[in-house]
Amino acid sequence: MATGSGPLGTLPELRSALDSGETRSVALVEQSLDRAARVGGALGAFTRLRGEEARAEAEAADARRRAGRSLSPLDGIPVAIKDNLVRRGEVTSCASRILEGYVSPYSAGVIERLDAAGAISIGSTNMDEFAMGSSSEHSIYGPVRNPWDPARTPGGSSGGSAAAVAAGIVPVAIGSDTGGSIRQPASFCGVVGLKPTYGRVSRWGLVAYASSLDQVGAFGRSAADVATVLEVIAGHDARDSTSLPEPPPRCAEALDGDVSGLVVGIPREYFVEQGVSPEVVQSVRAAIEELEAAGAKTREVSLPTSEFAVAAYYLVATAEASSNLARYDGVRYGYRARNVNGLADLYQRSRSEGFGDEVKLRIVLGTYVLSAGYYEAYYRKAQQVRTLVRRDFERAFSACDVIATPTAPELPFRLGERAEDPLRMYLGDVYTVSANLAGLPGVSLPCGSADGMPIGLQLLAPPLEEAKLLRVADAYQRRTDHHRARPPEPA
Amino acid sequence: MSASLPHPDYEVVIGLEVHTQLRTASKLFSPAPVRYGVPPNHAVHPVCLALPGVLPVLNRRAVELAIRAALATHCKVHPHSVFARKNYFYPDLPKGYQISQYEEPLATEGWLDVPMPDGGEEAVKRVRLHRIHMEEDAGKSIHDPAVVGSDATHVDLNRAGVPLLEIVSEPDLRSPAEAAAYLRTLRSVLRYVEVSDADMERGNFRCDANVSLRPHGSQTLGTRTELKNLNSFRFVEAAIEAEILRQAEVLATGGTVHQATMAFDPASGRTRVLRSKENADDYRYFPDPDLVPLVISQQAIDAVTATLPELAEARRARFERDFGLAERDARILTESRALADFFEAVAGELSAARSAANWILRDVLRALKDRELEIEDSRLAPEALARLIGLVEQGVTTARAARELVPELVADGGDPATLIRERGLESVSDAGLLEGAVDEVVREHASDVEAYRAGESKVVNFLMGKVMQKTRGKADPAAVRALLLRRLDGDAES
Repeated sequence: MATGSGPLGTLPELRSALDSGETRSVALVEQSLDRAARVGGALGAFTRLRGEEARAEAEAADARRRAGRSLSPLDGIPVAIKDNLVRRGEVTSCASRILEGYVSPYSAGVIERLDAAGAISIGSTNMDEFAMGSSSEHSIYGPVRNPWDPARTPGGSSGGSAAAVAAGIVPVAIGSDTGGSIRQPASFCGVVGLKPTYGRVSRWGLVAYASSLDQVGAFGRSAADVATVLEVIAGHDARDSTSLPEPPPRCAEALDGDVSGLVVGIPREYFVEQGVSPEVVQSVRAAIEELEAAGAKTREVSLPTSEFAVAAYYLVATAEASSNLARYDGVRYGYRARNVNGLADLYQRSRSEGFGDEVKLRIVLGTYVLSAGYYEAYYRKAQQVRTLVRRDFERAFSACDVIATPTAPELPFRLGERAEDPLRMYLGDVYTVSANLAGLPGVSLPCGSADGMPIGLQLLAPPLEEAKLLRVADAYQRRTDHHRARPPEPA
Repeated sequence: MSASLPHPDYEVVIGLEVHTQLRTASKLFSPAPVRYGVPPNHAVHPVCLALPGVLPVLNRRAVELAIRAALATHCKVHPHSVFARKNYFYPDLPKGYQISQYEEPLATEGWLDVPMPDGGEEAVKRVRLHRIHMEEDAGKSIHDPAVVGSDATHVDLNRAGVPLLEIVSEPDLRSPAEAAAYLRTLRSVLRYVEVSDADMERGNFRCDANVSLRPHGSQTLGTRTELKNLNSFRFVEAAIEAEILRQAEVLATGGTVHQATMAFDPASGRTRVLRSKENADDYRYFPDPDLVPLVISQQAIDAVTATLPELAEARRARFERDFGLAERDARILTESRALADFFEAVAGELSAARSAANWILRDVLRALKDRELEIEDSRLAPEALARLIGLVEQGVTTARAARELVPELVADGGDPATLIRERGLESVSDAGLLEGAVDEVVREHASDVEAYRAGESKVVNFLMGKVMQKTRGKADPAAVRALLLRRLDGDAES
């Protein structure tokens, strides 16, 4: 396997190398850190590296392994974590100036579980500020670049995590998905991205964007990789009132390559000519044919409320965000404007100077949506659409096991290309937001490429059916090589 | 300020919103303890500081207490209620929103029977309750230059997130005195079911009043104003009265009352506008997505019902019926649950409950009041009081001596029999001793004896007092009286 500062292997490769004694965690972490600094630095993938801490944790992991007491399949494995999950004693920025210097006194539930499993975080990944965006350009640390073409976006908001996996810096990474923020960057970067069922993974310590939509998930190079991470991070957490009581799914047995008899639903509304590029439709159709060849059946289903989903999503998400972000007021922590003249001035200037434009746009939109006289027309109506979206899926899933769609309607666009056209950027979320509105698990996996850029297939499943979802994704990957493609090594 | 209420020209319409603190060990959505007297920002946790990434988890004990309060006020407890965010910016509100209940409260449609102040037409008035909901308290902003120096503001978040119950009455109250009577009854009920300490002085029982006027006989409500933060019973009455006079003045001069939030200034005795309706905040309420709807099953309600004590009204009726107490006495004895329990315990030890009531109403309550104690703070055990009463009834000591022991027993406790023995307070029932004292008095006051025998029967009381003096109050007055009369009347015959 590659060493030095070359790309790291896949999760199974690294595990067998550790198990056989061919390598040690300290070596993997060193390689990962070196590559994060070099390749990750050029890509803008990280906001912070944990060199010292990660090295110490790797020593401990190696000691456990020598003593035959490895904690989990992730023990000693370098991972990267989106910079919106807090860790005790360390900075969390959400790529925002307003959290300048903020050090958390406690750790997120997901971080506790990763620590308990022995996973080693090499650092925090760059993102759109407060997870608001689909391009990872809205960051005080500068944009993240796509490893397949540094002039293009890696997608967002979890662009740093997606790029870090695609560039071989880490085998797996953690992100969060509010309207597609794991699946769309996975699609753009040619990796696998899983958004679990809402409530499957604890939100305790995830800095909120839109509470009813946010969900923590994983990136990896294969469906099996993200399944491994899911088993570690999923499970009930009493500190999150929306956390589901179910134990983590047992995916390992489910990933047996057998999809015979499973029904793949094809939503007729998602394969229309308009607004989706022909290369994307072509690759996704080919992927569905591959699943048929593997023994799955296909069936057309209908999701008629889909056309309203993006509008409903942006109303609900911005409304919740306007309230969730009210706590960043310059009073208790983070950025505070200097030389203020009274309380109103403290609020106005701290928030004006501390938040970026996209965040301010969404706060203003969300405040408007909740205002007296508009609540009924916008927020209430959006909640009604949400109920209809959920019913669409219930009806559709009564006739199929999973639903297949494109992840994103277009290939990755160029950095800056959508900066002046937020509406066009929002419409790029058309295939992903419905899963958040309905709380469903979804996964994006590479299914081809065009113009040298990856294309993603999205699979959706009913709530808590991650094992079935990943079984289909894994079966596809057993028959294809799209997920093995690697971006060109930077010069 | 005029005492001319009820107002001659207008009917007064008052509705009250009470915020009372639920008696829990931790906050409504945070594991932080509810604690007083600790240094600022020492009863806090990342949740009540609104640090990034924290989430609220509902305190189940607070829900149980809220259900108790709802049941005790005859409210309908809803099987499904929703927590909402009330959004506004203020430094003592760390999240930038308060978690409250808005469109779907915990309970609605209750009532309280309120004893009316003297002079009213009805003895008891049924005041309807509009709703009861749970919410969290804000922190405290400290502007006092003596504390914080210069013109800075300091924020203490110890109180932020403390569980409150908001209890909203219908506009059924017709005078400041009725409003105060309602508050007293409500406070008593909340204490009775041990939901809240409901202590106004400590700020855990706070009141806002909605006040409007309308011509007598009118069925439509006038424009109301809201009086904020009335934090003592005295203020409640004075503030409402001031606001009534202000509105009456406006109306009398042809003006219009504008909807507004008012504050009462106790120094001037006047109310002033805090915020007009045009400047009212838009709180942008919406259901809190971090919390799931609060679902309360009938079983949960039944479980709470099973732990509810007999409520004050039922207990008062029972005291009247079973112990033959007067309504007024029964009402006083049931004002607090601890007092009613104390009375029942004393009565249980005695053959006559009536005398237990008399002793408590007359002596124990006075001793408590003198020392500013509640019955639960007193060291007087019910068995001790029962023993003391028994000793009087058996003639071991006199009522007068026993009464003098009550303040000491209330403050310090102790065994009445021992105290009586140690202090030499046994009654003098020794016939020889008593007769000797009577003889001496008759001898020393010959002219008074003459007067008695000449028909001035009242003189016997004076002579009795002299005998009691000689026996230092230890003689049984009835025995003294009998002996004295026999002596006075008998001697005349001889």
